[in-house]
Amino acid sequence: MQETSTQQETTVVSRPTLAFKGQGSELFSIEIVNLVLTALTLGLYYPWAKAKKLQYIYRKTELADSPFTFHGTGKEMFIGFIKGLGIFAVLVCVLLYGWSSGDNGVKFLCFALYLFGFLALIPLAIHGMMRYRTSRTSWRGIHMGYRGTLGNMYKVYFTGFFLSVITFGIYSFWFTTNLHKEILGNMRFGSAKFRYIGDGSDLLLINVKGYFLTLFTLGIYSFWWAKDLINFYIDNILIEQDGKYSRLNSSLTGSKYFVLALGNLLILVFTLGLGYAWVVTRTMHAIVNNCEIIGDFNPDALAQTEEEYKNATFEDMADMMDIGIV
Amino acid sequence: MFEGKYYNGRTSKGMPAFITLEPNHIRVNWQTDEERGSEIWHLSEIHKSEFNDATTVLEYGNYPRQSIAVFEQGFRKVLEQQYNGAKFLKSNYSAFAKTGLAGLLVGGLSLLALAIVLVVWGIPALAEKAAAHFPEEYERALGEELHEQMMMGQTIDSAKTVALRNYLKALKVESDFPIQVTVVEDDMVNAFAVPGGFIVVHDGILAKMQHHEELAGLLGHEIGHVQLRHSTKALARSLSYYMLASVLFGDLSGIAAVIVDNASTLQNLEYSRSAESDSDKAGLELLAKNNLNPKGMVWLMQRLQSKQPEYLKFISTHPNTSDRIKDLNSQVKAGKYKIDPNPELEAAWAELKAE
Repeated sequence: MQETSTQQETTVVSRPTLAFKGQGSELFSIEIVNLVLTALTLGLYYPWAKAKKLQYIYRKTELADSPFTFHGTGKEMFIGFIKGLGIFAVLVCVLLYGWSSGDNGVKFLCFALYLFGFLALIPLAIHGMMRYRTSRTSWRGIHMGYRGTLGNMYKVYFTGFFLSVITFGIYSFWFTTNLHKEILGNMRFGSAKFRYIGDGSDLLLINVKGYFLTLFTLGIYSFWWAKDLINFYIDNILIEQDGKYSRLNSSLTGSKYFVLALGNLLILVFTLGLGYAWVVTRTMHAIVNNCEIIGDFNPDALAQTEEEYKNATFEDMADMMDIGIV
Repeated sequence: MFEGKYYNGRTSKGMPAFITLEPNHIRVNWQTDEERGSEIWHLSEIHKSEFNDATTVLEYGNYPRQSIAVFEQGFRKVLEQQYNGAKFLKSNYSAFAKTGLAGLLVGGLSLLALAIVLVVWGIPALAEKAAAHFPEEYERALGEELHEQMMMGQTIDSAKTVALRNYLKALKVESDFPIQVTVVEDDMVNAFAVPGGFIVVHDGILAKMQHHEELAGLLGHEIGHVQLRHSTKALARSLSYYMLASVLFGDLSGIAAVIVDNASTLQNLEYSRSAESDSDKAGLELLAKNNLNPKGMVWLMQRLQSKQPEYLKFISTHPNTSDRIKDLNSQVKAGKYKIDPNPELEAAWAELKAE
């Protein structure tokens, strides 16, 4: 009897459902320890705090009933944090030197150097963060990975930036989708690959429609606009596995998003910001639990493909620069 | 023996497994359609396992890690009993979470109270202490920079500035910093002090003044702010809030912007009640030192009084002007003042008014 039931179990293919099972109170108990330690160490604990928070959030995000794991450690991210801080300190010194210099030429040069340095750091930060973050993410022991090259990232970024500037921002929608194509197209989930097929013109349309309807409805439509943007991002993500494609699909609706955003706002206001943990878990619930994988994706058939990678220099840099992607 | 899934780190396929907790290791017996095997996990190489729920996940060994997932059956309890104190079961975080709702609530509220205490008293006090020990030459250099920055968006009335400087020259003043006054074109009834001895006076307030003693009082008041380093302290205080926020939230790009941007906020810096009354006192002292009518301070306050609508006063953290007038009046009564005419000052005043 025992034998046959085991046999049967192995032939059952697990369904690729996504779920977030974190709870605000649990995350709060983590964040409160983090906050105290960060304050006591004058901010130096920040990388460890972030590692713990990510470990919790990953552990509570499930695919086919198995949780993700974040392998990053405070120590790795601390080293990255210090390196990032160093690069930033140099830039800030340049800025302050320019600011305190009497000569207008020097002033201008320093500002330009600061701006250019900052701009040049963004692609580097995205690239470094993607490499680190994906390599430290695993599911059932299978690690994600990032195969993009820094050269291509710079090419995509600066082409997009330049074209956006000379088209007065119109190209920025193609810039966004191209950036997502570059990032997701180079992401690996073991033997599965991601692809992004969002088109700039669709994104432009969503934004034009969102802008005008928000104006006409005195802001009410903004929740539907935000929902459209999230769904546009998610729905355009494909997963390629052994030559077969499946797709992510978000069923987030405007009214769900409205409830989420309004709730988050009220929580933040009435807890004086202390309820931030609930804001995070509510948001994760809304995004992840409304997301499903459509197609033949077989979560049992992933194979390990990635090498080990531990450089966290740009993990925190991306944070410092307020880059929020993926 | 517990039932669970075993993942070998090479594929994502979960293999049915039986897990046995032995005294010094965990044994994992797994089996698929094609093969079967047995793994021995030494306790020292099992990775730390936190935040488990109904499913307990354990990971083992070097990259790529093997792992098992066990759905309850009392697994966690037995695990904790059997390997009590083992490294992979330790977590400082779950210990706190176990205190339950009451613990969280107490923790959260005391944290909030601590934050309020820190923000309302701790940080400002610390910042002011630091500002008080700021070397004079640095303060002067900082003030010079800020002053220059502020003057960029202003129109300087150079004729009035010259006249005002002549007036100041005729005044007996004591200060650690060389005092430099500038008149700018602005209808707002206002004047403010920049760290390091720079004083900016709007021509709006000059136009309203009727006696030169008011001007002497105003200069005395602003010099008081400079001498008592009020603006440096207030600057340090407002900067310290940004620093605190950036430390807590890990955003460092903001600080540089704030330092550069702070010049603009200097005009709107709020001094505390005690700072204002100390400077009022300094104004009175200057009038006394120059044998001028101490009423000048009171007249000055009356000019200021008309500038803000009455109904706004109760929300203003700025000291109430009528209270300040009351204080000044009682101080004038209590002190002994010798009043002498000062033709030099009067001439400078007439010149300033004529411009």
